[in-house]
Amino acid sequence: MSELSTQLAAALPQDFGSGPDWVRALRGAGAEQFRAHGLPTRKDESWKYTGLGLLDQREIQLALTAETPVSGSTHPAPLVEAAFQVNILDGRILEQNGTQPTGLTVLPLAEALNGEVDGLQALLESLPDTQKEGSSGHGFTALNTATLGSGLLIHVAAGTDAGRLLINWSTLGGAVSRLFNTRVCIIVEQDAKLELLEQFESQNGSSNACNIVMQADLGEGAVLQHIRFQQESEDAVLVTRTEVSQQADSDYSHYGFDLGGGLVRHDLRTSLKGSGAKTGINGAYLLDGNRHVDNHTMVDHIAPGCSSDQYYRGVAGGSGRAVFNTAVYVHPGADGTEATQSNANILLSARAEVDTKPELEIYADEVIASHGATVGQLDEQAVFYLRSRGLSEKEARQLLTTAFCRSVSDKLTDPVLGEVISQRMMDVMPQAD
Amino acid sequence: MMLKITNLHAKVAGKEILKGLNLELKAGEVHAIMGPNGAGKSTLGNILAGREGYEVTGGEILFNGKNLLELEPEERACEGVFLAFQYPVEIPGVNNTYFLRAALNAQRKYRGEPELDSVSFLRLVREKLKVLHIGDELLHRAVNEGFSGGEKKRNEIFQMAVLEPTLAILDETDSGLDIDALKTVAEGVNRLRSEDRGMIVITHYQRLLDYIVPDKVHVLADGKLAATGGADLALKLEEQGYAWLEDGGIETLDIKPAGQTVNP
Repeated sequence: MSELSTQLAAALPQDFGSGPDWVRALRGAGAEQFRAHGLPTRKDESWKYTGLGLLDQREIQLALTAETPVSGSTHPAPLVEAAFQVNILDGRILEQNGTQPTGLTVLPLAEALNGEVDGLQALLESLPDTQKEGSSGHGFTALNTATLGSGLLIHVAAGTDAGRLLINWSTLGGAVSRLFNTRVCIIVEQDAKLELLEQFESQNGSSNACNIVMQADLGEGAVLQHIRFQQESEDAVLVTRTEVSQQADSDYSHYGFDLGGGLVRHDLRTSLKGSGAKTGINGAYLLDGNRHVDNHTMVDHIAPGCSSDQYYRGVAGGSGRAVFNTAVYVHPGADGTEATQSNANILLSARAEVDTKPELEIYADEVIASHGATVGQLDEQAVFYLRSRGLSEKEARQLLTTAFCRSVSDKLTDPVLGEVISQRMMDVMPQAD
Repeated sequence: MMLKITNLHAKVAGKEILKGLNLELKAGEVHAIMGPNGAGKSTLGNILAGREGYEVTGGEILFNGKNLLELEPEERACEGVFLAFQYPVEIPGVNNTYFLRAALNAQRKYRGEPELDSVSFLRLVREKLKVLHIGDELLHRAVNEGFSGGEKKRNEIFQMAVLEPTLAILDETDSGLDIDALKTVAEGVNRLRSEDRGMIVITHYQRLLDYIVPDKVHVLADGKLAATGGADLALKLEEQGYAWLEDGGIETLDIKPAGQTVNP
């Protein structure tokens, strides 16, 4: 184990905290796994291209006790208005704005763990591979489970439309770098609907690290639209994992935008457990400087007649490094599955690097699947066409790279949000060397 | 003289395509350039617009007194040169209106004119569409993406109408068009004819010249002008083809050779 892993393991509490026995048992299992294996290393297949150098070189401390949020600290303005907004600073809920719409319940997780929330225990215990897998590949999840307590429970009652919920994540810079572990549990009951917008944007160039695990359970016919917008500083480390479980006819759509961050890793897995369930996973990542963004997606087709559609676009300039790994696994019995995977990348610099890998395993019949991954340069014919109309070469290239990424933001159902995000992308668009 | 091309030599992929081309165009004139395939017609258009991959090995091009070959493609555009592409490029994700406004404002900025806000721009655009009898659906689409051949060419003419160039070069704008699309394109071009605008219409067929009547017709063959005449030259070419180029030269065709002025 690395020095950092040893140090973090030593910082874990011995008593597994307070709360019901099952919570303490989960923490214990997480701690045990973490002490045995620590954080992931490049020897783990899924971390082959992503090292934790940015964490190792800091004296990072595990944030454990509930620290009092600094009052008066400001969160960045929300990208768009939301009916209800939760501001989370340094892993703690700072404030909640707006009135909770009918059907929506947002609770601090610590409170929910001590109460009787239907389905919460099952959801937390369902997280695959924390206990089973004996490797360090899920070290961050193990650490997150070992410190389970801070975070949110989001519940949408059956048949209700909760509208848009915004979670505004941010951390404060400080003399000491700290690692925050947060868990978000989402239960969207039958035929209920939620739009979750996550905004990650720390001010003051925070050098903290966040390790966030999100688990979502979608009942029959439930709809969850999940937008994840990240524009952290180049010192920020953000490790997130999203696990989605889908019942029949449910619809999960994900839109991830990585515009910043120093070291960013996102693992997203959806499990299609009931027939007719749909999942759409879309994302764009823009890198320059020494940024490193790693997206790992996986769709488990378990039930028959489900569909999944993945669409990622990336632009890498400077010495940026992007990793994109998408896996589709069609289990025996998942007949009639439709699955597409598309990933295209533009390299703007000779020093930038993109590692993209689509994986597809099929053990069922009548499956329609397609996948494609490309890494290339801008279309020079298009550059000339734009220049021949008066745009400078720089403007032409910027317009084309933005358009390339815009194909992702244009998929958003809210055109206003799509416009705001595409403008943000244009503002940070990496330049060609 | 708006455009003066003197002894232009150019290579494409190491092969000499233009071999001493001379051409003069005054403001207000429309010249047609015809000729067999491979004669260098499109090469001329692309060199004027500044496309990469064309190596000028000799000669010069003066545009309103400026050395055109020293200018970047965008500078040429801002100076008033417009090439209507033979194969307009599809640009997914770039909205046609957004692109055109960015282009117009880039040109206005270059000329020291104030940029147009989106309201004034939209007003201008609607005016042009009306004059050209083009529907406004192409405003909302990505540049040329999924356009039919006719729509692409119409979009080129529409861009030309909005950008109001001083020198417009139409590179085989008629190719692949049905008669209705051809008429729309020709009408658009005719509406843009003016005293201070020059046009070069590159075409393989005479058909377009039924609708756009040129002041001069040049025959480009083997990298230079083989003949120059009035609008009637195009008709003769239609009847007799280009076989005379190999058969026995210009004398076999009942016209005067290049360099001599033909009264229109």
